[in-house]
Amino acid sequence: MEYKDYYKILGVAKDASADEIKKAYRKMARKYHPDISKEPDAALRMAEVNEANAVLSDPEKRKAYDQLGDPSQYAQSGAGHASGFQAPPGWDGQDFHFHHSSTDADNADYSSFFEELFGRGQRARRSGPPSDMRGQDQHSSIELEVPDSYSGGMRVLRLRGVRLDAQGHAVEDERELQVTIPKGVYEGQMIRLAGQGAPGYGKGQPGDLLLEVRFKDDKRWHAQGKDVYQQLPLAPWEAALGGPVEFNTLAGTLEINIPPGSQAGRKLRVKGKGLPSRTPGDLYLVIQIIVPPVFDDNQRKAYESLSKAFAGRNPRTGDAA
Amino acid sequence: MSTPFYTPPDVLDVQALTLEQLAHACRMQPQWVVERVTTGVLQYDIADDDTPEEAPPTWRFSTHTVLRARRIAELERMFDADPQLAAMTADLLEEVRQLRRRLKG
Repeated sequence: MEYKDYYKILGVAKDASADEIKKAYRKMARKYHPDISKEPDAALRMAEVNEANAVLSDPEKRKAYDQLGDPSQYAQSGAGHASGFQAPPGWDGQDFHFHHSSTDADNADYSSFFEELFGRGQRARRSGPPSDMRGQDQHSSIELEVPDSYSGGMRVLRLRGVRLDAQGHAVEDERELQVTIPKGVYEGQMIRLAGQGAPGYGKGQPGDLLLEVRFKDDKRWHAQGKDVYQQLPLAPWEAALGGPVEFNTLAGTLEINIPPGSQAGRKLRVKGKGLPSRTPGDLYLVIQIIVPPVFDDNQRKAYESLSKAFAGRNPRTGDAA
Repeated sequence: MSTPFYTPPDVLDVQALTLEQLAHACRMQPQWVVERVTTGVLQYDIADDDTPEEAPPTWRFSTHTVLRARRIAELERMFDADPQLAAMTADLLEEVRQLRRRLKG
């Protein structure tokens, strides 16, 4: 496992005061908060910053971490383990106590380095087999396309976490999970996968994995709750004259009756064709007027005729409305 | 890497979590949730009206509230933020997300 230089992550000196660490943490949190940061790896950096703060803001953990010594020895030699860092001999006897409570045990996003030194690895080696306790629920999100909700289907999730090996050392773990996407699922709901959260302690059951459902942005459609808004492209004459048009909606091919004189942005409601459910949402087709390009003389003449027929109408002054 | 396997999902929506489950999801104590409900920072979906006042609350919370509460708890922890300020920031962040999406659409 990789050695983590928590001081470097927070950008503080080794002798930084508690106040300096707190200030540095908040600055980093503002920079990398996934809700506002434009950095591509914001979520990853935020997890690192949180982990560094969890150690350096806790005097006991910080003292224990400092006793590891110079980080370069781990970076160069991979001391103690062929695959990199491992807790040095005697680590378990140090003056650090693992406090287990419902609030500080949620280390789901922490690295194997943290788990090895302060988490489950440390606890397992220090205290022997743990008492039976249910594992933590873990929270994540799943990004779907709106059509996925119409059709349902399968999705493979790649989950990264930390597990203990046979010797009680924390190691990185990656696994795949094939998940059924239920029909009609919408943004803001959560999908619970029982038993797929953090492993239990001792003979305790594993926690659950709770996935927040999000839809990918798409210019063609978006959903609000169970209602779906889909762009309906029309030629200018279809919008002006109205009449039936055939259209491949997300709910299947439908014949849509266009009201004459429809302007761009007008919404046509198709009741019950939103996301499927016992009480389904509605589908709103949002009219988008597409001006066909001119390819030959006939088409140019057609536009010129149109121009003559509407002489004096100026859409910029509202005369064409 | 282990072989993928199928897991039957369970969709949560309204009345998704109990008070204790919400507190757990936020990495906070139940009292934290109670305080934020009584001060109007968080709202619950339903409560058993027959429950005596001194009994543990039987509130249930929607997934929307769970996501919002987790964000508020995170802001409070990160910045030692006042709960009302954290709630306002969480709501603004959500609004920005919605508006950005509309801009892209």
